[in-house]
This record gives sequence, structure tokens and C-alpha cells, in this order.
Amino acid sequence: MRIPTIFTLELQKRHHRIGRLLALAGGLVFAVSAYLPWAYASGALDDMSYLGGPSALQFLGLALGLILAICATMGLIEPWAGAKGVAPALLKVSKRVGWTRGAKVTGIGMLAYIGVVLLAIVIELGGLVTVEWGGWVALAAAVVGLIGTRLITPGRPPSLERLRTPGWVGILAIALTLLGALLLAAYALNQVDGGSFVVILTFAGVLAAFILRSGLGGWLSSISQRHRTVLVFAAFAVAFLFPFTQNGSDANMSIATQVLIFAATAVGLNIVVGLAGLLDLGYIAFLGAGAFTAATMSQSAFATIGWKPPFIVVMLIAGLISATLGLIIGSPTLRVSGDYLAIVTLAFGEIFRISMSNLDGRDGPDLVHGSSGIPAIPNLNLFGFDFGAVHTVAGIPLGRFSNYFFLMLLIMAVIVLVFTRLNHSRIGRGWVAIREDEKAAEAMGVNVFGLKLLAFAGGAFLAGLAGAVKAHVDQSVTPDQYIFLESAFLLAAVVLGGMGTVMGVILGAVLLKLVPEKLRFVNEYRMLLFGLLLVVMMRVRPEGMIPNQRRVLEFHSDDEELIDEIEEDLPYEFAEES
Amino acid sequence: MTFFLDQLLNGISLGALYALIAVGYTVVYGIVQLINFAHGEVFMIGAFGALSTWIVLGTVTGGSTAWWNLPLMLVGGMVVAVLTAVLMERFAYRPLRNAPRLAPLITAIGISIFLQEFVRLFFGEIPGFPDAKAAIPFPQIDFFTGDPVNVGGVLVHRGNFFVIGALIVCWAFLWWFVNRTATGRAMQAVSQDPDTSRLMGIDVDRIIVVAFAVGAALAAVAGVAHGLRYGNIDFRMGFLAGLKAFTAAVLGGIGNINGAVVGGLTLGVVEAMATAFMPGQFGGPSWKDVWAFVLLILILVFRPQGLVGAKVVDRA
Repeated sequence: MRIPTIFTLELQKRHHRIGRLLALAGGLVFAVSAYLPWAYASGALDDMSYLGGPSALQFLGLALGLILAICATMGLIEPWAGAKGVAPALLKVSKRVGWTRGAKVTGIGMLAYIGVVLLAIVIELGGLVTVEWGGWVALAAAVVGLIGTRLITPGRPPSLERLRTPGWVGILAIALTLLGALLLAAYALNQVDGGSFVVILTFAGVLAAFILRSGLGGWLSSISQRHRTVLVFAAFAVAFLFPFTQNGSDANMSIATQVLIFAATAVGLNIVVGLAGLLDLGYIAFLGAGAFTAATMSQSAFATIGWKPPFIVVMLIAGLISATLGLIIGSPTLRVSGDYLAIVTLAFGEIFRISMSNLDGRDGPDLVHGSSGIPAIPNLNLFGFDFGAVHTVAGIPLGRFSNYFFLMLLIMAVIVLVFTRLNHSRIGRGWVAIREDEKAAEAMGVNVFGLKLLAFAGGAFLAGLAGAVKAHVDQSVTPDQYIFLESAFLLAAVVLGGMGTVMGVILGAVLLKLVPEKLRFVNEYRMLLFGLLLVVMMRVRPEGMIPNQRRVLEFHSDDEELIDEIEEDLPYEFAEES
Repeated sequence: MTFFLDQLLNGISLGALYALIAVGYTVVYGIVQLINFAHGEVFMIGAFGALSTWIVLGTVTGGSTAWWNLPLMLVGGMVVAVLTAVLMERFAYRPLRNAPRLAPLITAIGISIFLQEFVRLFFGEIPGFPDAKAAIPFPQIDFFTGDPVNVGGVLVHRGNFFVIGALIVCWAFLWWFVNRTATGRAMQAVSQDPDTSRLMGIDVDRIIVVAFAVGAALAAVAGVAHGLRYGNIDFRMGFLAGLKAFTAAVLGGIGNINGAVVGGLTLGVVEAMATAFMPGQFGGPSWKDVWAFVLLILILVFRPQGLVGAKVVDRA
């Protein structure tokens, strides 16, 4: 989809120098404007009303301005340095960076950033008059910067990923990136004000877009492929450190734990949808089965099963029951596929939910007390570790939700491990083959039916594990937690993040759960926006935010240029990496 | 015996409601092989369109419930429903026509949620309109509501006359439309072979829009019927009704209009009978949806071509 533009190639070729200068000026003025007052009073966002003392959010704007200025400058310096022979080693690196592409996306992002900030100020303080002159300067600078970047001729595609990087640089870069992500996430989460949260989210989006367009993303993904274990361990280390950034507050940890449960379930669904290509619209039932199993076997006074084994056993049983349901719902795949399978799974999800609310002793055996569910599920106590109590580590108190967060992190690690190992195994290859062409896969000797069943059962097992923990985190289990909408949400996390990749799905899950939690003021409209998001996403980027390369090919089979680009990038024939 | 006849009639009228919605699934599927998952929402919007028409009329007539309101409400509901369906086709489905099958299905879920929320949040914002966050009472049009009529010892709920009559009229109209008009014949041609139809000078895009519009118009009729039958409407009513109607469409053999009607009636009767006569704890109204969905799964697995069934190709 080409957007019509007044900045034609001819115009750009004629005026690209002016463009660079405008971009440079826009970036610098934007950066300086951080020191000017943006808001009339201190009540909006963080305090932006001082002259000479930028607030935290203004510092983020400063960073964006500097990024744009650097990008624009490099385009001017490079030819000069090349002619004079200055710092040839650095120039070699610089030539591989997509400065121009980075500048173009930062130009748009800067305007978006100041737009969101000013909008928040106008809304929170009431009226346009509340924007101080510094805010208008920043806006003007952003517009100038945008026009400037539009005037620059399209740059060469970045090729940083082909750069030879010493091992320690790569590991350091991974560590720094993740640490930055942790700090930004902790900072964003600690915002009480919804407006500030949106502004930080906008900043993160612009930064991510810059990293991707300038080729830094490609470089990071190439080094993370080389240092895969480092990356995984670092990611978990960062997640492990997260509770320690909360100063003992459990509010964010409650959200974080729910996000992890949701993400773990979504990764399980990703096996079914992303790898094996079987659309499941009733997946929440497996999480529900796990939760109900754990609840009926828990120490709760309302539990209906007298047998109360230790939690490890309960968890396994929950997983196995879910897996059995997975086998049952997977068995029609022998005969049904595509849309019909989606409807079968949807119907199954509804059957599960209605049956659970009917098992109340009046319409059926009293197993789960019907729609009122099982309340008062006590906290876990594993090996003498009480999950309900506050534990103080290194002077930082860690509350109830932090304890569950650590448990979920452990389960998440297991799930990610299972997912990646399966993905790289003969089984994973079989799934991909089935997804691509079932008949061809069968002709090649892939056990199609067996593998489809395994996908359903495996995905359901993982969801069952997550469900068992969820029962204890929520302290009560009711059927109306497991409605169709939740399945749609899970599917959306998989689709938005990128089918078949772990990172994408986790990112999708985090965004889908976190944003509505933090944005109470859009809570009323969140479902509306969510529906719209699904429609728009399918139109503009059906392969998701962090796509599986093969998926991109599938969704854009008519875009020859893109296909060449991707096929060149694929390191080997079966590149399936996240 | 009277009880049985009561239940039979009840089932037929419920089935007629399903059938009217199911036609929309079937017509669209027959032409573009797309499960328009958001069709249940079109049904819901049709009901709200009819209600809006009545409210607007009420500003002139002072809330009259005379019989002549009904045709106007039907037209109002149809206009809104058709508009929704056509916009949906144009902006959400058409760009995805050659996309992998997953994409339109997810889009449909998105549209479905969007439309529900749109009605929930904004219907009550229009001055003079009731808040749509809870169920809204539907106007009780004279003759079609009120005390049941005694027909030969069987008490007939008055709303049943409307829905059964509407099904007969719509069915006859559809038959005429599909078999006797140029557009209808073009629809048949496109459903058999879109590429050849295009070579023969048929505007395939226009035919697809017509298919969506026809389905939406019938869904609006169903929406009014639902309002008269149950006495109130709410923004959530499309999900379950749509799922049931889809079951009906598959039951009859999706892509086949007569199949949708037969499937709808069968499902309605089976559901009413299961509610009334299923023995033991697992019978009764609280399990009827479960049995309907079990039936759906069994049909999809063992007889995907449905009861009447045209030959359905492999739906991969």
C-alpha cells in the first residue's frame, strides 16, 4: 500500500541538503525545548512548567531530538569524512547504519510524541491556553524536523547485521538493551497518571521504530542469535529483578503476575495456532480446566474433592486433565480443518463454560458450585515457603504477588523451553509442514493426525499448568472468567505479537494485558479499541509485530521486492527463529 | 398432547428465527467462501435500527404501538443492517479477499467486538434514546404481542405468528430473487465459478455486496422478530444467536439457502424438544445450548455437508 506523497523523488533529489539541515535544526531545537516550560501549570503529566529544569518526560523528548539530530548529521559527515579519510574504521561501521531511515521514522515519531504530550496537557489542564510557549516551540521544531526528514532522499537499507562484532560487545549490548527495557518498564509502570503512561508508551514505540528502521534491530537480532543462551538468561534475569524495582509495592506485581499467566497461556496457544496452524477459538477452556481442577483439589473449605495432594501433584493432574480435553477437542481434526475447526473449538469453549456453570447441584452434580464458583482458595505453601507472606530480601520486601510472580516466571521458563525445543525438533518441523501444506506433509511421511493431536494436547497441558497457579493467585474460580472474549484476547495476543515466535507473543500478551490495566480512563472504550485494532492489524500488518519470517512471506505473497529482501536475510532454509 | 404441540410450535418459531439469520451466513458463504462471523452483530444492529425507527416515529405519534409501525420499523432496521453489512464488506473483508483464511476470521471477531461495543457505548448517547448498557424493552406492537391466542386448543404466543409469517414471505421472496431475477442468476453463477462469471460480464464485487445486503436484510427481520418474541433486546444478543444460526446453516448444508431454512427449523425444534423432554438433571433450559453445540460438533465432524447438503468441497 503506497501512500501518495508530495515529497516526490525529484523534489528530494533537488533539496536533500536543505532537508538534512532542516532535520538537524528541528532535532536540535526540539532537544533544547526540553529546557523550556511546556505546560502552564504543574498539574499535567509530570511537572513541565519550569524554565531550565526538564522533567523526566521532557528528557525523553530531549533524547528523541538528539537522535534525530545525530541521524541528520551523520548523513552530512559521512561524505566529508570519506573524502578526507577521517576515522576510516568508524566510517565503515557508520556506513552500515540506516541513518536516513532512522531519521525519517524519528521525524514522524517526534511529532507523534509532542502531539501526545500536548494533547495530554490540554486534556488534563483544560484548554489550549494551558500549553506554554515552550510546548509550541517543540511542536514547531517537530514539524520542521518532519518536513526536513521527508525531503531527504531514501537511504540505503541498513546492513549492520553483517558486521563482525566481538563477542563481549554483543553480550554487553544485549545486557544494556534489556537493562534499558527493564528500567523503562519499571518507570512506566510506576506512573499513577494514565497520561504519563501513554506518553512513555509513545516514546517506547518511537524508540523501537527507530531501532528497527536504523538497522540496530537487525544487528541486535543477529547478535542475539549468536548468543542465544545469554539472551534467554539475561531476559529471565531482568524479569527476575523486576519485583526488586517496586519498593515493596504489590500493586504492579499483581498486574505483572496476571500478565505472566496470560503470556504463558498465549505461548501455549502459539503451539497450536502459530506452529501447527490450527485455529483454536476455545483455548481459554484449557486454562479454565486447570484452574477448576486446582480449585476442587485445593485446601479451600468450598473444594468439592476430599483428596488434597501436594500442589506439585495437583498441577500435574490439572495439566493432564487439560491435555485430555485437548485430545478430545483435537480428535475432530482428523476430519475437520480450517474454518470448521475454528467453529468446533469455539463451540467446545462455550460447552465448557456453560457446563461449569451448570455443575451446581441443581442442574448437574455439585462439582464447582455453578456460577458462584469456588471461593477462598488459600495461598500456596511449597516446601515451607508461604506464598501469602511478605519475604524481605536484601532489605526489599516482596509481597504475595511477587512470590507468585517468581513461580510463574519458573513455569514460563519451562513453557518457553518446551516451545523452543519442540520448535527445533522433528516434531516442530512436522507441525510447520502441516501448516504449510497438509497433503504434501502427509505424502512426505509426516504423521499428520498424531502431530495435530500432540499440538492440541501439548498446548492444553501448558495452559492447564498456568491455570492451576491462576486459581491460587485469583483465590477464586468462577465460570464467567472463561468466556469466549478471553479466547479472543489470547488469539489476539498471538496474532498481534507474531504467530510462531516466542518474543512476539510475549510482547503481544504484555501489551494487551498491561495497557488496559494502566489506562483506567480508556477502560470504558478498551473493547471498542481492541476490536478496531484487530481489524486494522489484519489489514496493515497481518503477520504481527515481531513476525516469523516465513509468515511474512505467506501474508505478502504478491510483494516481490519484500520476498527477495526476506529470502536474502534468511540464514538457512528453515529459518524459524524469533 | 397439547404440551407437545405447544413445544413443537415453540420450536418452529425459534427455528424460523434461526433460519432467517442462517440465510445470511449461507448466502455469503456460497459466494465468497467466507464465514461472516460478525453476522450475528448485523442481526443485533437490525433490531436496534428497528427500535430507533420506532423511537423517532414516536416523537410524532407519541409512542403509538399500532400495527402500521411494524412495516416502518422493518424498513428502518433493514436500512441500518444493510448499511452496516455493506460497509463491513467494503472496508474490512474486501481488502482481505486473497489473504490466508485466518485473516478474515480474525477480522470478523474484531468487527463483532467493535459493533457490540459501539452499540453499548453510543446508542444511549443519542438524545432521546435509552441507555443500551442493559437490556432495552422492545416496543410491544399491537396484535403481535399480548395474550396468547387459542388455536384449536393450542395456546399460540402472538410473536410466533410474525416470525413464522416472516420466514414464509422471505423464503418466497428469496426463491423469486435467486431464480427469477438477473441479479439472482448472477449470484448463482458467481457461487459456481467466480472467474468464469467475470468473463461473462458479471460484476463480481457487486454480487458480493448484494449477498451481504440480502443476508443483512433478513437478519434485520429476525432482529425485529426477536424483539417481539422476547420483549427486549440487548447488545450481546448477536453472539449466541449468531452461533446458533451458524449451526443451523451448517446443519442444512452451508451454501444452500433451502438448507439454511431446513437446518434452522430442525435446530429450533430439536432445541425446544430437548428442553421440554430431555429427562434427568442434564435436560432443561440450562443445558439446551450445550446440546445445540454438541450437535454442531457432531455434524461438522460426521456430516460436514449437512442434511440437505450440496457437495461441499474440502474446507482447508
